[in-house]
Amino acid sequence: MRRYVVSIASLVAVFIAAPRGQAPETGIIAGHVKLTPRIKGRALPSTAYPTRAVGAHDPTSVPEIKNVVVYLKNAAFRGALPPTRSELRQEHETFLPHVLAITRGSTVDFPNDDPIFHNVFSLSSAATFDLRRYPRGQSRSQTFTKAGIVKVFCNIHSHMSATILVLDNPYFTIPALDGSFELPHLPPGEYLLVGWHERVGERQSTVRVERGKTATIDLSLPVEDLQ
Amino acid sequence: MSAVRARPPRLLFKTLAVTFATVSIILVIVFVVVSISIGDQVRESVTANLESSQRMFAALETRRQRELLAQASTLAENPTLKAALDTYQAEARTSSEAVKSQLFATIDGELRKVAATIESDAVVLVDMHQSTLAAAGRMGERFPRGRPIALSNSREGTFDGIARLGGGVFRIVAVPLHYGDGATVGTLYLTTSLDTAYADELARLAGTKTAIISDGLMVASTLPAAAGREFEAAMASNRLVAGTKTFNGETYAFRRLVAVGDTAFYALGSIDESSRGVMRQAMRNLGFTALGAMGLALLGSITLARLLADPIGELSTSLARMAATHDVTSRLPLTGSSLEIDALTETFNDLMTSVALAEADTEAAYTGAIRALAMALDARDPYTAGHSDRVSVLSVAIGRTLSLSAEDLEVVRLGALLHDIGKIGVPDAVLRKASGLTAAEFDLIKEHPVLGARILRSVPFLAPHIPIVELHHERPDGRGYPNGLSGDDIPLAARIVHVADAYDAMTSARAYRGARPSGEALRELWRCAGTEFHADIVGALATALPGVTYDDGDTVLARV
Repeated sequence: MRRYVVSIASLVAVFIAAPRGQAPETGIIAGHVKLTPRIKGRALPSTAYPTRAVGAHDPTSVPEIKNVVVYLKNAAFRGALPPTRSELRQEHETFLPHVLAITRGSTVDFPNDDPIFHNVFSLSSAATFDLRRYPRGQSRSQTFTKAGIVKVFCNIHSHMSATILVLDNPYFTIPALDGSFELPHLPPGEYLLVGWHERVGERQSTVRVERGKTATIDLSLPVEDLQ
Repeated sequence: MSAVRARPPRLLFKTLAVTFATVSIILVIVFVVVSISIGDQVRESVTANLESSQRMFAALETRRQRELLAQASTLAENPTLKAALDTYQAEARTSSEAVKSQLFATIDGELRKVAATIESDAVVLVDMHQSTLAAAGRMGERFPRGRPIALSNSREGTFDGIARLGGGVFRIVAVPLHYGDGATVGTLYLTTSLDTAYADELARLAGTKTAIISDGLMVASTLPAAAGREFEAAMASNRLVAGTKTFNGETYAFRRLVAVGDTAFYALGSIDESSRGVMRQAMRNLGFTALGAMGLALLGSITLARLLADPIGELSTSLARMAATHDVTSRLPLTGSSLEIDALTETFNDLMTSVALAEADTEAAYTGAIRALAMALDARDPYTAGHSDRVSVLSVAIGRTLSLSAEDLEVVRLGALLHDIGKIGVPDAVLRKASGLTAAEFDLIKEHPVLGARILRSVPFLAPHIPIVELHHERPDGRGYPNGLSGDDIPLAARIVHVADAYDAMTSARAYRGARPSGEALRELWRCAGTEFHADIVGALATALPGVTYDDGDTVLARV
């Protein structure tokens, strides 16, 4: 098993110059997400029944930072949300990506790349659905019309899970590998910046965005030692 | 003066007593030996039984735990259960109660399905903080939502643990619910209540009594209450793995079947109880054997007693017959039953032979003495010399003619020899007087039979001869003396001697006359037959006379 410790410690303020000759209408939030270890006991090992083989894919090859979503909470967004279309692939008995953030009204495709049947279902209050079983090469899609956390599972393979964050505004991002993130084009104002991780939940911080300026903020998420 | 002596017991009773005593002692020894050996054997067998129970239980238990884990692991892969749990945890903070209760309903439903497929008292789902989220199964209500479950121990590397909850002790097999990314969302506990029902089941499988002790306290047992308390106390002070101890007066062998942390499962076998059954069986067999042995002993001693007593009884009967008839000449027959008894019989016969010889000697001496006395009397008068001898010979000859028995002839012989013994009291002058006896003198002579009888009475040996001496002058017509008896009242022996006396008197010379010839004497006798003499006796004399010889070889007729 991987021992995951994110140790990106440098604090870099990123200044983005406004376009010459034009006064910027919006501001920027930039910063770092730091995943800190929080060791909480150890999971009980099982000698009885081998963990189910999950094929060649090692799910931990995706850096944990990619399972973090940074977004603004309760940010009022005027106008229609731009609907997007994303993909949540089923590959090597794993949902890829593990965490997906979309705007309300967007559609997600669930293509099956495995040589076996898969299923996609959710019990979440934001979207309760079951796409039934379908074989390799097929794809089903689901449109999410309600904001919230949607946990997605496969009822054939109980070890498969993914999370789709359905958000009311487009101000969200997934940090880069080094933990840095940037939310551009924000109307000035005071916001609640949230760093979210599946097992940690939300970590909030208040941030003030001024016109033409970049506010910097660092988030720390205590991710459990997963060993 | 001698104290009253009890009669000794019969031989049979003695042999019976000796045999029964011997058999009883043997049986007692056998009983003691059998009891001791049964005690040892039962102890060994109970201990061995516990050992095999322990091995079997340990093997079964390992397998059972592995199977439970396998089952639990499979159940932990229930996609709906996991999805509901994961979704619930993701939404716990944000969702409405309605949504949460719906998720819980899903979790509860899935858990119930799981519980229905597994042999477990309760299936419990706990979150990452060891708090109960949901429970199902027979004892599900013992695990209320939100209650944390603390495992008091868990063996390294396994999910085997003990939890104390709500007054109960549970054995727990735990499996995590996790996803492919390694994230654990909860733990599924399969719990088994360590209660009396479990102890009973364990007892049934192990074939022994069982007790479960957790942290020094008795959780459940199939022991009687009092013995259970003592076992608990004994185990609290020192945790023994195996041994033998007495609880509430009953000896138990015990052995720890398996230990999970501070909780131990014991199997106990009552040595006393096992002994009782075996002992009862052994005693029944011993009883039958004893009965058979006693029966054989009875037969044996009766046979032995009869072997000994019968020949002795035979001898004793023969002796009693000999004693009754004063028979010293008979000889006891040899029984041939045993060397000792035959030797005794021969010795007795030898003794009787010598007694008979001694008796014959004694009688010969008596007879000799009496004859000498009679001859001495006869010698007082030269004319009557040899008279008594001759009368005796004649009387025997007459008696033989009359077919008297040998005994009667012997009585006649001696009686005739003594018939005139009373004349010892008659003076010589009167006896020798040739003729002219006065009446007084004749009365004196007539006294001699009574006098003779009186003399003989003082000698018991001579008692049979008294009638001859006393009555040899009685006549059939009743004119005889001393009693004047008549006819058949006069004894035969006396009649014989009367005739012989008269014959000899007539054929002998007297001082006053010469001897008459035999024929004349016979004629005289015939003349007086019926009055003075009995006719049949005279007839017998006449028949006998030709064969009569005296000691000197002369015949009576020859002398005439």
